Amino acid sequence: MTHYSAEHLRSLVEPHRVHRDVYIDPRIFDLEMERIWGRAWIYVGHESQVPNPGDYYATTIGREPVVMTRGRDGRVHVIYNRCGHKGAKVLSEGCGHAKGFRCPYHGWTYNLDGTLQGVPAKAGYDGTGFDMKDPQFHMQKVAQADSYRGFVFACLSPDTVDLKTFLGDAAATLDNMADRSPEGEVEVAGGPLRYVHDNNWKMFVENLNDAMHPMVAHSSVGQATKRLAAKLPKGAPYPREAEIIFPFNSSYQFFDEMGVTALPYGHGYMGGRMSIHSSYSDIPGYFESMCKAYGEEKAKEILSQNRHNTIFYPSFTAKDAIQAVRVVRPIAVDKTIIETWHFRLKGAPEEMLKRTILYSRLINSNASMVGPDDWDCYARMQEALKSNSMEWVDMRRGIGKEEQDNQALRSFGTSDLSFRNQYRAWLSYMTGEAA
Amino acid sequence: MTETAVKPDIREIEEFLYREADFLDRGDLDGWIELYTEDASYWMPASPEQTDPFTHISLFYDDRLLMEIRRINFGHEYAASMAHPVRSTHIIGNVRLQSFDAATGEARVTSNFHVAMYYRGEQTLYAGRYTHDLVRQGNDWKIRHKRVDILTCDAPLKSIIIYL
Repeated sequence: MTHYSAEHLRSLVEPHRVHRDVYIDPRIFDLEMERIWGRAWIYVGHESQVPNPGDYYATTIGREPVVMTRGRDGRVHVIYNRCGHKGAKVLSEGCGHAKGFRCPYHGWTYNLDGTLQGVPAKAGYDGTGFDMKDPQFHMQKVAQADSYRGFVFACLSPDTVDLKTFLGDAAATLDNMADRSPEGEVEVAGGPLRYVHDNNWKMFVENLNDAMHPMVAHSSVGQATKRLAAKLPKGAPYPREAEIIFPFNSSYQFFDEMGVTALPYGHGYMGGRMSIHSSYSDIPGYFESMCKAYGEEKAKEILSQNRHNTIFYPSFTAKDAIQAVRVVRPIAVDKTIIETWHFRLKGAPEEMLKRTILYSRLINSNASMVGPDDWDCYARMQEALKSNSMEWVDMRRGIGKEEQDNQALRSFGTSDLSFRNQYRAWLSYMTGEAA
Repeated sequence: MTETAVKPDIREIEEFLYREADFLDRGDLDGWIELYTEDASYWMPASPEQTDPFTHISLFYDDRLLMEIRRINFGHEYAASMAHPVRSTHIIGNVRLQSFDAATGEARVTSNFHVAMYYRGEQTLYAGRYTHDLVRQGNDWKIRHKRVDILTCDAPLKSIIIYL
């Protein structure tokens, strides 16, 4: 397919900078689809999207159309969304319910796990070697599928570590998101935001642990909100909107204190005990419901974890304290769709979901006053990295100041540590070496 | 509210909707916001047939506070997304008075729209249906609630930089 040698790929990533080709070369993108998106555990969806046998959710992993289904036995399967006959996409994208799947072209039918159930006028295959039981005629299973606290991941390669090893300490974010429910479970609340970005997928992922941009890129909405807050009567509580927007204008010192943590496989997170979400006011009844479920000490411990964005490289990012996740869907070297999904904490007051929704509408929506400024900056990079004036993108801030903590590396929050960590993983995947 | 509120002339309502569209087409959010009541809201759902703006994500759900923030933010020198010209042209049709309460002066008006928007080197067409909840104020109207259902509400979309 492409002719890049491991040596060439290694030449694109230096300890303190990466070559611009990683963002703009379509051949690199093709290789990423094969070697990163084809080898890493990729987020597919949440089990609550397919609560009952026969429910399905059709989506993509990189360029591969897949379906998450709930079988009659209650198990969740991930299969390729390709008819075993002539290759038509069997299900259109999105959620649905079916007794089985039927290809709309020639009517081949499949069980919920993708095995072939029937073909019309089967006698025509007599003596051809065709065998219904032969998996080559089925909708194919992905190499590996597994879930963690209801979050379903799939891996298109059989030669990868298991999901739990892959997630490592990043799993604690999913634990915390679920544990913040008095019932220990979250469920998807409605459809996602779907946001088309004119940039390479990696720019988005990097930005989630980029603490040097909020006070610059998002200063306008902070200033606008401050001007209005100044008009409030003295002593009046800030509206929830202001409580959400203001922390985006926090100081460099604040983000430094949040800290950044880099984990194996390119994962990482900011914050831990404090983040831009840790000073929200209490929602009546929530803490009580948590104490009732866990006891006060355990409830306090759960609520004391506060990671900002956790990156599950390359496909997924999550906010434990906000119960919103972003799903990365690369389309082309300069086109990415970002989906934002929202979760209800089962057993918690509905106000918690309302805050999640408000947060996302203010920050993540295509029509918000935050997301479009990030979008614009990514697009500017995608445009100007074509310039021949410079070959390299710098990411040296804080280099050499990391501290090793078991498998993790930690540094001050505005360090470029997370970017360097992502490119270490990138290079491992791309050259076929263990991450 | 006037005690003599009579069923309004549809032409008069059309004229009001055109006036709102004209403020948006000229990027005049100062003028636009004055058409709204203090308790107004502007809603663009992210899902067809969406019934609730609070427990399901929307593209917009602005109360007056957020309208004011957006008005100040629009064209802000520190917002990267605002450094590009935004131009739009609204075409509104099929305007219908769905209900009118003579006692309160409240009217519900539905219409269809096509909005062509130019932004960042591209022209995008948004089409859909408006639902305006209007309230009589003197001889004029104010908007208490506007719902904007775009055909592509649940499709992948780029940035939506101004109200439609």
